[in-house]
Amino acid sequence: MSSSYYDIDAILTDAQKVPTTFELDIPALGYLDNAAGHTLKSGTRLDLPLWLSEMLAVSSTASSTTPSKSLVTLDLPPSLAPRVMNALKADPKSVDLRALAQHFYGLGERILELFEEDEVCNVLMASWRKRAAEISDHASQVGQGGRGGMASGDGVEFLRGLDEWERDLFRRCHDSGKAMRVWMGEVKKN
Amino acid sequence: MYGDLGNKLVQQAKRTQKLEHLPPYSTEIVRAITREVRDLDKDASNILQSFNGSFDPSADPATACTLLVDHLCMRRDKRCLLAYHRTRTDKLEEMVWSGNDISDLAAQQPKNLNGNQEGGSDLVSVDGSSSSLSPEEEEYVRQYSDLLAAYKGQWTDIDLTGSLDPPRDLFIDVRVLKDAGEIQTEYGTINLTKNSQFYVRQGDVERLISQGYLQKLS
Repeated sequence: MSSSYYDIDAILTDAQKVPTTFELDIPALGYLDNAAGHTLKSGTRLDLPLWLSEMLAVSSTASSTTPSKSLVTLDLPPSLAPRVMNALKADPKSVDLRALAQHFYGLGERILELFEEDEVCNVLMASWRKRAAEISDHASQVGQGGRGGMASGDGVEFLRGLDEWERDLFRRCHDSGKAMRVWMGEVKKN
Repeated sequence: MYGDLGNKLVQQAKRTQKLEHLPPYSTEIVRAITREVRDLDKDASNILQSFNGSFDPSADPATACTLLVDHLCMRRDKRCLLAYHRTRTDKLEEMVWSGNDISDLAAQQPKNLNGNQEGGSDLVSVDGSSSSLSPEEEEYVRQYSDLLAAYKGQWTDIDLTGSLDPPRDLFIDVRVLKDAGEIQTEYGTINLTKNSQFYVRQGDVERLISQGYLQKLS
């Protein structure tokens, strides 16, 4: 999915926090650690929104005398931790992605631009495929008068755990199915 | 933290996307964010001033980082503000295309639903306090409507904002919900007074139906 400057979901995706470790002392930035007026010490680890930490991580203290060093280093956010990856590998459908991050796949995409993590990338793609099929099933069942689909507790649980992209997918599946039936119905009338 | 207010604004924009109507303009938050940007700018200017215009980032990475954070926060605020306003103007443009005018926007708030607005596309009949638009947005809608009218004027035999459903009958029964004055049709003049009922050509009254002056009776 491409995102534009004005894309509301892209902006909200960028607001998600990433663990960021500062690599040098910065006197004026104490307020980031809720301690305004104090020096932000090197090695301090903070959860900063992606829009801030990304740009800090890619800029470096380049100079002719000392080897260039990043201002900060990033870690994988907890929502993409190995524990979550294992759960997704075991059973993609049983993970509540929304509880991990509202824009889970959006965050994953952005993070993978910064990290070389083939494993995470593969797990995300595989789980997306598995879950997309499930979402499509649910969306078409809801369209047909909710028989079975919403009634089973398992389905409700699963649908509640969708992230924003998946909710969008669900909506599109549902709407397109409906539009198709309306169109077929009109064809029959004539 | 800087940027939190922007986030709040964007979350409102997200809700707005799914709504039928336009929620009131968040004057307070917008003002607070502009203030935040001004503070950040002052902060950055102060830092730079102490260097007398000869700042070398590699000599003082800590200050460079502070400046970078200031700059990124401003940039973020700007993006949030622009996205918020863009979401709203997109919505307004959609409303202009679908034939709602600005007095209908205010009428969405139930307490304003009184039938004493005069004139078809009267833009000033909304009193400022109850409008969900900012003054700038009202101006935007006005100018956009003018633009659309000028664009539509190029084709006299087709109504670009007309309904896409083919009509079933040429003539329809309509009931007048609000006084709309006299209209000219091929078959003479009709005086549309409230609660009266007419059998008219659909093409003549389509605009009035979409504006809520007439109700189509099946």
